[in-house]
Amino acid sequence: MFHDGLFQVPWSSYAPDLWTGLLRTLGYAAAGFVGAVLFGLLLALMRLNGSGWVRFPARLYTEIFKNVPLLAIIFVTYFGLASIGIRLDTFAAGTLSLVVFYAAYLSEIFRSALAGVHGDQREAAGALGLGPVATFTHVVLPQALRLALPGTNTMLVDLLKSTSLLVTIAAAELMTNAQLIASETFRALEVYLVIAAIYFVLCYPLSQALLWLERRVRRGAPLSLRRARRLREARALLAGES
Amino acid sequence: MSVRDTPVTQTRAAVAITGLVKAFGGRVVLDHVDLTVLDGQIVTIIGQSGGGKSTLLRCVNLLERPDDGIVEILGKPVCAGGRVVCPDLAALRQSVGMVFQRFHLFPHLTALENVMLAQLKATKVGEREALRRSVELLGRVRLSHRALAFPEQMSGGEQQRVAIARALALRPSVLLFDEPTSALDPESTGEVLGVMRELAGDGMTMVIVTHEVPFAREIADHVVFVDGGRVIEEGPPAVVIDRPVQPRTKAFLASFHNGRSA
Repeated sequence: MFHDGLFQVPWSSYAPDLWTGLLRTLGYAAAGFVGAVLFGLLLALMRLNGSGWVRFPARLYTEIFKNVPLLAIIFVTYFGLASIGIRLDTFAAGTLSLVVFYAAYLSEIFRSALAGVHGDQREAAGALGLGPVATFTHVVLPQALRLALPGTNTMLVDLLKSTSLLVTIAAAELMTNAQLIASETFRALEVYLVIAAIYFVLCYPLSQALLWLERRVRRGAPLSLRRARRLREARALLAGES
Repeated sequence: MSVRDTPVTQTRAAVAITGLVKAFGGRVVLDHVDLTVLDGQIVTIIGQSGGGKSTLLRCVNLLERPDDGIVEILGKPVCAGGRVVCPDLAALRQSVGMVFQRFHLFPHLTALENVMLAQLKATKVGEREALRRSVELLGRVRLSHRALAFPEQMSGGEQQRVAIARALALRPSVLLFDEPTSALDPESTGEVLGVMRELAGDGMTMVIVTHEVPFAREIADHVVFVDGGRVIEEGPPAVVIDRPVQPRTKAFLASFHNGRSA
C-alpha cells in the first residue's frame, strides 16, 4: 500500500518528537562525555601513581570495561541493578553506562598523553620554583591535552553515536523516537534513513570542528580567555616598543 | 641595570657544599665533594663526561637529592645528611635559577610566556609587572623580536637565550648552567656565551658546568676540576687551566687540546 514514493511519513507532525529526542541525545552525549573525561582523568592519574595499590584497581577497571560491550553495561545498570532494588531512571542509567564505558577508553588515551610529556618538563618547572600543582596545571596538563586531543575527539563522536544504543531502555532519545515513528507509520526504511541522516548531520560537523580545534591547539593558539588576553596585551606592548 | 637586589658582599657564600655524597644504584657518582661559591663569584666546573659535574650542579638546587653531606644556599642549610631540611623547596628554587643543556623550554608557550610563567605561578607578581619584566629580560638576551615565537620556531641559540631569560625572571641569587652550549652549533654557542659574559659583567653569581675550556678560562674566578666523583683540583683559572698540578687535570686538559687541534 505504501509503494508510491519514498517519503510518505508526515514528518512535520513528528518534528516536535524528533526535536525533543535530539535534545535528549545531546544531553546524554554531553553528560556522558563530561563524566567520562573526569572519571577517565582520575583513572589515568591513578595508573601513573607510584603505588601499586593505587595503580592496580584502575588497571583492573580499565581492562574490564574495555572488554565488555556497552549494551551489556546498559542492561546491567538499568535492568540488573533494578532487580536488586537499585532503580535508576533512564537518564541516570544511560548516562552512567556511557560514563563507565568511555572512561575506560579515555583513561588509556589520557594515560599515554600524560606519560608522553617528557620528565624534563616537570624538572624545568620544578627548577623554576613551581609547586607540584602549578606544574601539573600549567606545564603537564596543557601539553598532555595537545597529545590527547585527537584520540579524545574520536571518542566524543563515537560516544554521540553510541547514545543510540539507549533505545534498548527506551531512553526517549533520537533513536527511541525513531522506533516509535517507525512503528506508527510502518515506514522503517524511510524513518531509519532520515534518522541516520540526522546522526550524520550531528556528527560530521562535530568531527570537523574538533579537527579544526586540534589544528589550532597544535599551533599554540590560546584555549583560555586569560591566555588570549595576555597575548593581546603582549602584542600591544611589543608593538609600542618597536 | 643589575640582576641582583642586594649589593655584592664578597664574604658571604652563595653556595656552600661539604662532604657531598651521591650514588645511583650503588654506583658512587659524588664522593665527599666540597664546593664553595662566594657571592658574585663565577665558578666553572670542568671534567670528563660522567665524572659527576652535572650531578654536583643538580644537587645545588636539589633536583638530585644528596645521600649525605651538607648543602647551604645563602647561608641557610637546605639539605643535610641526605635529608631535605629546607622548609620551602619552591622558595629555594626561586633563589637558584637553572639553565639546562637541552633548554627544556615549555613548548606550548611562546618565548614571552615561558619567561612569564614562574613569575605568575610561583610568585604573586601581577600580570602587567610580569609582562613588563619579561619583555625587558628578552631584550637583555636580544630576543625582543622573537617574543611571540614558540620554541620549535627558534634556533637552539635562541631557545637557550630564552631559557636564560626565564631563569632570570625570579631574580635568583645564583644561576646554575648545566653545559649550556653542548647542544649548540658554534654560532649559537657564541650568542649564548655572549649573554653569559654580560651577566658576568653585571656581577651575577654563576656556577657553570662546561666543556668549553677556553670560555671557562676567560670567564671564571674559580675553576673546579672534577673527575671520578671527586674534586681533583681547584683554584683560579691561571693555575688550574694554565699550570695544573695534578696529573689527571693535566691529562684532561691535554686530551682537550688534542681534541681541539685534531
